[in-house]
Amino acid sequence: MNARELEQMLSSRQLPPFPQERLKRMEAAVIADLKPVRPLAPDGAYLAGLAAIFVAVCAMGAYFVGPQGWQALSVLRKIAVFLPLTAATALLVFSLVRQMRPAAKHARSSALLSAALFILLLLLIATFFQAAHETAFVRSGLVCFRTGMKFAIPAAFLFALLLHRGAALSPALTGAAAGGLAGLAGLAVLEIHCPNFNVYHIVVWHVAVTLACVAAGLVFSSVTFRRWTSNH
Amino acid sequence: MEASRETLPSAVLEQLMVGYQQADAVATTALIEELSPQLYHFFAAQLGNREDAADMLQEAWLRIHRVRHTYRAGEPLLPWVYAIARCVRVDSYRKRSRIAVREVAVEVLPEPAVASDARGVLPSFDQLIADLPASQREVLTLLKVNGLSLEEVAGATSSSVGSVKQKAHRAYERLRSLLQSPTAGKDSTI
Repeated sequence: MNARELEQMLSSRQLPPFPQERLKRMEAAVIADLKPVRPLAPDGAYLAGLAAIFVAVCAMGAYFVGPQGWQALSVLRKIAVFLPLTAATALLVFSLVRQMRPAAKHARSSALLSAALFILLLLLIATFFQAAHETAFVRSGLVCFRTGMKFAIPAAFLFALLLHRGAALSPALTGAAAGGLAGLAGLAVLEIHCPNFNVYHIVVWHVAVTLACVAAGLVFSSVTFRRWTSNH
Repeated sequence: MEASRETLPSAVLEQLMVGYQQADAVATTALIEELSPQLYHFFAAQLGNREDAADMLQEAWLRIHRVRHTYRAGEPLLPWVYAIARCVRVDSYRKRSRIAVREVAVEVLPEPAVASDARGVLPSFDQLIADLPASQREVLTLLKVNGLSLEEVAGATSSSVGSVKQKAHRAYERLRSLLQSPTAGKDSTI
């Protein structure tokens, strides 16, 4: 069988008859609930909104808890930490903007690339920071974790407020990405603030803020979506 | 490779969608009547079960209604609609899989006789594509049943045109090899 015959065969398909009575019922249900809706704002508005929240949270962190970490970091370490952090943040913002409406491209791939950059950040931290003995590893770590979460939670709330009208198709991905973005804001605040350069402290307690936010975003969005689908 | 679409031109559909967003009942009715048969065939071709396809069509319209504000005027409508339809199909598949795990089959029912081509030799479209991998079946359905362009299929499946072309090509190759096998047209599993 050649390509033309195959094409002809596929085109002469027999489609099943469409159930007209169900169509009428669906039409009636949709018409009964018909209200005007405001279309989503342009991508640029969401991009600017997400970026503004992120920068504002970092600035507030530097203002309220102090930039001791930033002041103590060498130029090389600043580049090693803040360059991949900024790139991962930018990609996550881009991914979230693309997730706002169905059929937008690169939503998933940019989120995956952002996760890859986050792993690169961990590798760079492991390379550029050394291990040091700490007498109060857990106590000082918990202080940092709480400080990071103090900024990540309001950021997550503001991101959710901005994103709640869109992102209806992949709630788990959107929740994880929004949580990740809030976690990156918390991590950025800690990197600006914390002068403890023990590699274990950074990898365990600073990074835990991001991971906790990703997990919380994933769980929250999944539960919310399940409730949403069961109510409709 | 593209089939002629048996619906209104894209620009008209997009205008109807804008009317739907503005609560225009006439535009909404026209849009539902225009898109529903195509969506139904999209579900039916992939599921092979018409009752399930009708249920999914209803679910798809509920979802479209709920997220109708996410459509932006001037953007292609069909990729937006089919992206939602795909999502409904995937969610439904997951739900059915969860239920199927809990159910215990007591008896295997005989398969109903499959309708063959009018000439009695060639298998039907549903039979033909049933043996394809899900991603190839989806692309072929969107191209051949729903008449979407390569660009529209790429938009609906959040992939590139190159990827769509590759899947369609592989689907064609596989169909050709299935049709050339001696059991083609007789065995209902192809």
